[in-house]
Amino acid sequence: MAKAFSAGRRGITGFLEGPERDLIRKLFADIITMLEPETPASSDPLAALIGLDMDVRVPTDPALLRLLPDAVKNDDDSALEFRQLTERSLRETKIGALRAASLGLESDKLVLDPEQAKLWSMALNDVRLVLAERLAIRDEGDAERVHLVQDWGEADDVESYLSLVYNFVSWLQESLVQAMLVALQRGK
Amino acid sequence: MSVSTAPETDREVSTSELISPDIPWELIVWNDPVNLMSYVSYVFQSYFGYSESKAAKLMLEVHTEGRSAVAHGAKEKMEAHVVAMHGFGLWATVQKGGDRG
Repeated sequence: MAKAFSAGRRGITGFLEGPERDLIRKLFADIITMLEPETPASSDPLAALIGLDMDVRVPTDPALLRLLPDAVKNDDDSALEFRQLTERSLRETKIGALRAASLGLESDKLVLDPEQAKLWSMALNDVRLVLAERLAIRDEGDAERVHLVQDWGEADDVESYLSLVYNFVSWLQESLVQAMLVALQRGK
Repeated sequence: MSVSTAPETDREVSTSELISPDIPWELIVWNDPVNLMSYVSYVFQSYFGYSESKAAKLMLEVHTEGRSAVAHGAKEKMEAHVVAMHGFGLWATVQKGGDRG
């Protein structure tokens, strides 16, 4: 079984067993695949350099839209314009965090410095956002419904399996963030 | 960077013209049932450098009011913040101060 993260003198440490690491690695890989841009970077070198992407569209997959939300509300034109300027680099930021977290899964013991811990928390958060969309978690009541699924013996359909995975990743992220908050206070 | 002194003729410019309509803008963070309260608090502390108590106050405002204006300032700065918030997975938007979108 995984152990909760804790903040110590050597950094933030955690422990995940082999099958748990395989699961997390698979989840990170799935999100990376979702986030990889469908079109190659612009052939215009300046546009490519600043990440400008005039062909970008609002994602049709609601889970991807949750990872790459509109930055302006009630103004589709401004939101799209902002997306053209920023979405490609946002995708790269997220893929970078997911890849960095994946690299940390080589051994069962995890030792994270503050930057690695931050990337891990971002990666776990993106996994939870996607799972939550697939589980149709729209409000606190939905979250409670999913939270009640705790018995791996009853993982007999996709929904209950995804719920159990969501609850495990939520527990893992909560324990990591609690350790990060402790480390943040100590650092002051 | 250059420093210039205003020529005499500019003294007639009214204050309303000097206050740019682009300032201040707001960064709004919206509630959602997924992001952990601890994580939102961590982001507010580590990214904005807010104190533990200020981060907790803003986080609870997001949770109970459904939204909170967590930063104010120039448009470009708020736009940089919104990209950072999306990087963290928080649901955030930018708007002109005073709009209740």
